[in-house]
Amino acid sequence: MEVAQKTVAEKPEFSEYDYSNFYYGAGDDPINLLRPYADWYREARANGYYLYQEALGSAPTTHIRVRNGRTGEWLELLNMASYNYLGISYRPEVKKAAAEAIEKYGLGASGSPILSGTFDIHEEFASELARFKDKEACILFPTGYSANVGFISALMRAGDTIFLDQYSHASIVDGAILAKSKTIFFRHNNPLDLERKMAKEKGKKLVVVEGVYSMDGDMCALPEVVEVTKRHGARMLIDEAHSTFLFGNHGRGVVEHFGLDKEVDFHLGTFSKSLGGQGGFVAGSKELIDYVTAFGRSRFFSCNLSPVLTAGLLAALRIAASEPGLRAKMWSNVAYLRRRFAEEGIDIGKSNSQVMPVMVNNDAKVFAVAEKIQDHGLFLNPVTFPAVPKHKSRLRISVSAAHTEEDLERATQAIAAVLREEGICR
Amino acid sequence: MSITRYGFRDVISGFFEFPTDNARRLLPRGIEPFELHHGTSIFAVNIFDFDESEVGEYGEVVYAVVVPPLVREGRLPQSAMFPWQVATTTRAAREHAIERWHLPHWMEDVEVEFLREKGRMTAKVKAEEAPALEMTITDHSWQRVQHLYQSFQKDDSGTYLASILFEGEKSEHEEEKGRVVLHDTPFNRDLVLSEVYETPFREQWMRKGCQLFDPLLKL
Repeated sequence: MEVAQKTVAEKPEFSEYDYSNFYYGAGDDPINLLRPYADWYREARANGYYLYQEALGSAPTTHIRVRNGRTGEWLELLNMASYNYLGISYRPEVKKAAAEAIEKYGLGASGSPILSGTFDIHEEFASELARFKDKEACILFPTGYSANVGFISALMRAGDTIFLDQYSHASIVDGAILAKSKTIFFRHNNPLDLERKMAKEKGKKLVVVEGVYSMDGDMCALPEVVEVTKRHGARMLIDEAHSTFLFGNHGRGVVEHFGLDKEVDFHLGTFSKSLGGQGGFVAGSKELIDYVTAFGRSRFFSCNLSPVLTAGLLAALRIAASEPGLRAKMWSNVAYLRRRFAEEGIDIGKSNSQVMPVMVNNDAKVFAVAEKIQDHGLFLNPVTFPAVPKHKSRLRISVSAAHTEEDLERATQAIAAVLREEGICR
Repeated sequence: MSITRYGFRDVISGFFEFPTDNARRLLPRGIEPFELHHGTSIFAVNIFDFDESEVGEYGEVVYAVVVPPLVREGRLPQSAMFPWQVATTTRAAREHAIERWHLPHWMEDVEVEFLREKGRMTAKVKAEEAPALEMTITDHSWQRVQHLYQSFQKDDSGTYLASILFEGEKSEHEEEKGRVVLHDTPFNRDLVLSEVYETPFREQWMRKGCQLFDPLLKL
């Protein structure tokens, strides 16, 4: 029936929108979405988004200085957010190596690795890393993102098929886009769904998984995924960004943990997580590395890793390789926190790693919870839709070998107190 | 300005992943699908139980592809759809929607049976006396909302935009508890059935509300 008019609230609540509403802007002008986004973000930031990109004023150790995104005030907080899983990046040996390198090389590589940007320190680091990973060779990328983008697009082409876990990191998805291959997503960690989807495809196939998934902290169901992949004659890439240097007897990753190192074709990792630096790598046969050197555009056309950073990474790698006690300490911290969280009724979903999502499961409350936890002296990050499914909001915790039991107990008590106050845990 | 109102008891919507290749086959030139992931678009099944309209009570099934909204001055739409097949339980409803909204229709009456249970609702649809689809949607938390959506239509006379305000109680979640069964019948001929994932990644349910349509805009 026809009615005279409708009453439309001209300015709906900011919480009715999210990033996904500002991605596509149909129409003829590329800047169509700037103003609506700016209007939304102004309100979103005031209502909790200020908790993103808060500036740090100290090294990312377990205790840090953080500038509050709303007030500008510097706060002293217990750091439960930085990767730095082994607490290596600020070790004196690492800083010394970097300091010596800046004296020797200056600030940057000043060139692409293919032309003038490869230094002796890059070769030394790549060679030691290959030995650590028990592979013939290794190639370095300026970031973890560029490692995935460069490697996947170096190997795969239009007409090929790439199978991705639905929770794949953006760098893996972007690599598949750049490869122009057909991309098929399978349900998270679900080998049966992968099987169903692989059965329909012919031709060159690549399956990409992650050792540990960064939003849920759950390990890849690697034995089952490997079995399906092999049965369909496909190749497999594992991104061990969150698992290299942590899992397995030697710290080689989830592949070593499951004894499947030789079954997985391509091994990728990063230096920003366990080593607390920056960059990425792929390890494998010399033939593979030679090919990726030639066709990995994200590396070929970027400036190489700074030699200063590389010297620090080399020192960090030597620590990670020679001090297994660091891994043991991190896992003991993980066990402690898991036990305490269980005792306090704090839900960490399916995590079985050092990445622990504290499930809030309430999109409307997650920022208020994060604010209160910061008021209790903790630094951690809220994660909400569309980074995770609707109503699956969480606070992401990274456990480090550098945390003391006292730190972890303090974190547990603060989180439990706030979650109880908000009616989220018992 | 004249607004058209449709009151509903319930509207259930399931959003399913399906290949962008399939989505592109359903969309006219110039309208792109909204991709959930690279290569994966969104197939929306919306089933309405209308209890108030110019043409009385009726049931309606809308198959649509989720597309980017048209961003203009004023309120930002929640999302947009391109319906490629609408089926109604009455001829009057069908003729009304074709005439006023230029919507592409299944040209026979369909049967829609709603089964209401605690926390879930199932709609069973029959076309040409044979089962065409069954969809179950579950609920989460309910809140009263007023959400703006867009619907694009295209026929021989041009491309049109309908702005639709949904008012009512809404539940929305991504718990993956719902399900759809699409039967291999002419009703589903535009879909590659094996490529539609049977569990909706998002489930929406609106109840005790209405749709308010702005006059159709020719683009």
